[in-house]
Amino acid sequence: MDKLTDYRYTMKSCNSCGQCRFILGPMMKGWEYAEICPIHLRYRWDACSGQGLINIAQELLDGELDYEDGLIEHIYTCTTCGACDINCKSVRDMEVMDTILALRARCVEDGRGPLPPHQEQARYIEAHHNIFGEPHEERSDWLQEGIKLSEKADVAYFAGCATAYKHPDIARNTVRILNAGGLDFQVLHDEYCCGAPLWRTGQVEAARKLAEHNTEVFRENGIRTVVTACAECYGTFRGFYPRIAPPDFEVVHISEVVQRMLRADRLKLKGKLDIKVTYHDPCLLGRLSEPYVPWHGEIKSFGYHEPPKTWRRGTHGVYESPREVLKAIPGLELVEMTRHAENAFCCGGGGGVPAAFPDFALWTAAERLDEAKSTGANAVVSACPWCESAFQNAIDADKSTLQYHDFTGLVVRALEL
Amino acid sequence: MEKVMSLPKEVYQALLKVVGPENIADRPHILAALRHTNPQSGRQPPSPAAVIMPGSVEEVREIVRICNRHGVRYNAVVSMFGMGGVVSQPGMLVISLRRMNRIIEINEFDRYAVIEPAVRQVQLKAEVFKRGLTYPTASAGPSCSVLANFLTSGDHHTQQSSSRCSRYLLGYEWVTPTGEIVRVGSLAHGAGWFCPDGPGPSLRGLVRGYGGWGGGLGIVTRIAIGLDDWKGPRVLTTQGHSPDYKIPFPPDCHRVFIFKFPTLEKVRDAMTEMGKAEIGQAVLKFFYATEAVLFTVSANDFRDLWNSGLYQRELPRALWVYLAAWTPEELAYEERVMRDIVEEFGGEPVDASITRKYEENMDFFILVSFLQRVLKLGGGWSPTKLGADSIHHMFEVAAAIPEFFYDFIEKGRILDAPHNFQVIPMEYGHAAHIELLFFFDNQRPDWQQIPAEVMQKSMESDIRHGFHAATPPRVKAVMERLGPLYSNFQVWTNKIKETFDPNNVSNPGPG
Amino acid sequence: MRAAEAVLRFREGVARFLKADSIVDDARTLESYNRDISFVKGGRARLLVYPQNREDVRGIVRAASKNKVPLVPVSSGPPHYRGDTVPSADAVIVDFSRMKRIIRIDPVSRYAVLEPGVTYGQLVPELRRQGFKLVMPLLPRANKSVVTSRLEREPGLIPKYQYDYLDPLLTLEVVYGTGDDFRTGSASGPGTPETLKADGVNPWGPGVLDFFRFVSGAQGTMGLVTRAATKVEVLPSLEELFFITSGDVRPLVEAMNRLLRKRVVDECLALNGANLAAILAESLPQDFAELKKDLPPWTLLVGLAGYQRRPEERIAIMERYLREICGELGLKARPSLPGGGGREKKVTELLSGPWRSEPYWKLRQKDACHDIFFLTTLSKVPEFVGVMRGAAERHGYPFEDIGGYLQPMVQGRGCHVEFSIPCGKDETARVKDFFIEASETLINEGAFFSRPYGPWADMVYGRDGEGAAALKKLKAIFDPDNILNPGRLCFREGGRG
Repeated sequence: MDKLTDYRYTMKSCNSCGQCRFILGPMMKGWEYAEICPIHLRYRWDACSGQGLINIAQELLDGELDYEDGLIEHIYTCTTCGACDINCKSVRDMEVMDTILALRARCVEDGRGPLPPHQEQARYIEAHHNIFGEPHEERSDWLQEGIKLSEKADVAYFAGCATAYKHPDIARNTVRILNAGGLDFQVLHDEYCCGAPLWRTGQVEAARKLAEHNTEVFRENGIRTVVTACAECYGTFRGFYPRIAPPDFEVVHISEVVQRMLRADRLKLKGKLDIKVTYHDPCLLGRLSEPYVPWHGEIKSFGYHEPPKTWRRGTHGVYESPREVLKAIPGLELVEMTRHAENAFCCGGGGGVPAAFPDFALWTAAERLDEAKSTGANAVVSACPWCESAFQNAIDADKSTLQYHDFTGLVVRALEL
Repeated sequence: MEKVMSLPKEVYQALLKVVGPENIADRPHILAALRHTNPQSGRQPPSPAAVIMPGSVEEVREIVRICNRHGVRYNAVVSMFGMGGVVSQPGMLVISLRRMNRIIEINEFDRYAVIEPAVRQVQLKAEVFKRGLTYPTASAGPSCSVLANFLTSGDHHTQQSSSRCSRYLLGYEWVTPTGEIVRVGSLAHGAGWFCPDGPGPSLRGLVRGYGGWGGGLGIVTRIAIGLDDWKGPRVLTTQGHSPDYKIPFPPDCHRVFIFKFPTLEKVRDAMTEMGKAEIGQAVLKFFYATEAVLFTVSANDFRDLWNSGLYQRELPRALWVYLAAWTPEELAYEERVMRDIVEEFGGEPVDASITRKYEENMDFFILVSFLQRVLKLGGGWSPTKLGADSIHHMFEVAAAIPEFFYDFIEKGRILDAPHNFQVIPMEYGHAAHIELLFFFDNQRPDWQQIPAEVMQKSMESDIRHGFHAATPPRVKAVMERLGPLYSNFQVWTNKIKETFDPNNVSNPGPG
Repeated sequence: MRAAEAVLRFREGVARFLKADSIVDDARTLESYNRDISFVKGGRARLLVYPQNREDVRGIVRAASKNKVPLVPVSSGPPHYRGDTVPSADAVIVDFSRMKRIIRIDPVSRYAVLEPGVTYGQLVPELRRQGFKLVMPLLPRANKSVVTSRLEREPGLIPKYQYDYLDPLLTLEVVYGTGDDFRTGSASGPGTPETLKADGVNPWGPGVLDFFRFVSGAQGTMGLVTRAATKVEVLPSLEELFFITSGDVRPLVEAMNRLLRKRVVDECLALNGANLAAILAESLPQDFAELKKDLPPWTLLVGLAGYQRRPEERIAIMERYLREICGELGLKARPSLPGGGGREKKVTELLSGPWRSEPYWKLRQKDACHDIFFLTTLSKVPEFVGVMRGAAERHGYPFEDIGGYLQPMVQGRGCHVEFSIPCGKDETARVKDFFIEASETLINEGAFFSRPYGPWADMVYGRDGEGAAALKKLKAIFDPDNILNPGRLCFREGGRG
């Protein structure tokens, strides 16, 4: 597992250029919605940004900064959305997000982090294998009769905690879609939390155990492909699990599955939905979803990496498949927000922020909804239960007329299931 | 790090009263982001005592007055991406202007925009494009403050058909070092923002000469800048995902050419003739190694490209030309004139793979994302020279670069790229800007000394030859030593600083 | 020390280095400096000195500083119009007319280095001979100093070559009120002018200050310029002049804006009938009256140019743009001047050089002419024409007799607006009232009097206390003894601001 000291080069290389806070130049659209870092947009301090957090990491490493009052809260305000990371890596060979995650891990290692709500989540996971402390045996209660499961299939649907306990409709819709497309799959009753909430809050040892458990469950059940409708699970399987061991399974998001089925004429979107929507790219499905490839080597003169490193620059995130599917729904008009794809602004639902800083999470979601409204759309669509919670909270708080739809819900309606 | 100096309690409280508790901080972890050693300068800056974020010119004035009353030294900042660092002395107050980020006005008919300090390139550029306008865009990148670039640096790659940013600075609002609000130019008696000079002698000369004060003479809280008509698309048709963006422009009115010439003198003469013919949206002799960094994704990709030797073969004596026109006929006319000139001086096209990169991605010529993209060799990057005079003089200066540059290359301290300089003509060749850019290896133990040493040797070369390729930086000891060679400009600069900033609180500089 | 005694000592001081014929105390000669055509009245010229070079100027300034003697610099020949050379108190006139060397015309980098006494009448033909063109103000008198004109930010006829309001001024050599000399921009160094290899075409700096701006618009109050570099342009190998006429100024303003933002035209200016008639009339008063009657209220003059390479091709494209833009606005660009009686060629000739005949074109109607000029944006020009018309009506002065001149500046981002009020000897008081009231009204309406001569100084600085305070600080640095043209701008006791 990587350590904070592994990111010395990143800390040393930062020119404070500000790219970690603003939208990439080629994507510029105007004065509004030009910032991409939620904490910087809200608080404005340099310290509240990718740059600031890696500066703090360096000073902590060098012993120039103590764990003073407010520091841990500061470090955990970040939603770990990775916009800073992808923007930086658009032009640099630096690992901003991994440095921030390693900083959190260091706080945990030093016994200073995470914050109490995160510790509580860890305890729940330890006891019940889900972040909410709900009974593990109820994890698959969303499963309804009539769903065809294939015990021998090498494909598993992985619901994840948020879907299983808080947004069961997503799970139900997902499996109906899979059935409609004729895909044989299993539901693994011993799936545990994917580990995202622990990984993103620096509790990496606990997260490792979850990764090992789930990997073992997949292996025991002969699973070669894991389908999920949760962006956090997707990004964690691809971004975290390879840090533990080389994965022997493929992860596919439901939007990719539907895209393939449509292209193969295994699904037909016939139902007309007269709706104008904008699509929100979840961070861990979009820019942070590229597979992690471990790199061990030396950084030489002028930043040459020996051996060459495989970078995760956000180029190959899952951007096209949800859009292609949505555009294929009759009557549906898809409009883009200024900040989309790898430049998407976070919903505020990640990185442990909703648990520790609910007001800030709400503020972030409201900022995103404001952008969604500016497109003229009457609904925002995403593909992650965490985004759904974040947006729904903000819609409720604001009594907004904007609607939220999960990707799977729209597909099911268009399939007329 | 030295112990962090804090502000006296009563000063902090007075400042807090001005902006409210959300907008002032002195906690060490907040300050950590303001004292980072920047790899481009190598200098470890001292820590500020606190940082404050005013939201209006009135708040700025109050803060400045408190600083004067209590002898607190301050510096205003927006983007942090400066060469000199934000904090020049321990215990300073950083005045972060990030909350002042409004575009006040874009006047499409009279072609000016009025902005606050924290409006960024990526914001204003897109807004003026939408209106068929553009402005001289210093190559500092998307997140940089437009205002700061009009007050500090200001050279860019399309100044053949325009000029430096400073030429386009119009009326402005200035909080003097002692806290008076002065409205300069036509703004002085309510006549609007369009003119920076007058009434009478131009106070505009105080805020910006060739370079800027870096906060050493008060705080500019609003500026107007001149706008030009824009021949390109109003909305960028960007394709692809980071980092593989493509921004093509309509090819019938936008073309890029790169020609190699037998000698640098021929490059110079072709450039001069294009100025006299008044063609070219952009004409320049560009940095060839910088270009290789610019168009590769990683340091490793750069190494592969550089080691191929293509750029060293094709680009040391090359001229970049970007033609932009209102109609295809006009473009065709400019192309014919350009080809006449190129032929006359023995130019021929470089390898098509090099030109294609520009055609596919015109970002280079709108300069929204430039500078960050050349930092990828570890951030060890620095420019020197940065002066201006005639095209001929700039090439004369360039011819002497090897005298001091090879020593650094031979010792492996900088990248082996002796022709990594650019000469950009401005105002259709009436003057030109030179910049020598070097990449240093910040993995070396002595890396922090390299930028200063190269700059010193460069300055010594200029002085030896009588070249005007830079003026001494605003560092007291250097100005005192070298100022007498530059018409004693330090005497007048110091007098102005002492007169307008009697308490020496407005970014006094590193001493 | 009494003034007379101070001047005497000054004279003794300068006599050590100035030739005898460079010091003049002839009463009649001195008297000619005591007034000009403007309403400004002041003190007396006590002595006249003619410096020959920079060292002379330094010596003069040092002697003046030592003896606290005011100096009033004069570079152009008479008549003067603005009051800026009328001593505000007893003073010594420093006449630069003998420093008239064209030091260099550089054909490669396209600039000329001049002493302050070089006139338009001297420089323009010399440049033309070498294949270059000078951007000029509208028909300056031939004895007008090029350097003064540049320093005072006078507008030029070709806005596309102007990137800011000081353009085409490049670098300066200046002697401050302390007697120190200084060189600006890339003329500053390193080293001496003799060892410096730069061309001196970068006006900015040195360092963090734009020194050349402090001396601009200063009416000689900040320093005495002993040498200046100015841009020169390639002489087009083909030129065509077009006339666009209108009864209303609005469509012409719109046309100027569109033509300039696309960089279609070189010369670009608009004149009203009174001004065009004053310029073109063969004889006064009959020909003038007829022309004024026949000429349209406003005429926009635009020049197209082709340079050394493919000039016909360039002109063809620009002419197409010109016709398109005019067509969009319902205007016509003609090579002939309607109502001009076939005098198109004369316009072309006139615009290419200074005014050479006597009297000066502004004095052809009456003995004097008082100009009200200011800067604004093109969008506001029609409004200010209306304001001026209103003021003329209030004062019973026929608006159609007032010369009107619109000169876009800085590529059309600003516009110099000038109203010339001819004034007979018997109507001075009435015209003065009109002049003052119209100026006040225009300022109140937002006209920018960027060069506040004479009575305008109080009007302008009274509205800009903080700016005036800053200027006074600058003045104290560059002229600590207040010897350089004291009493001008905001630099006088009792002045507003």
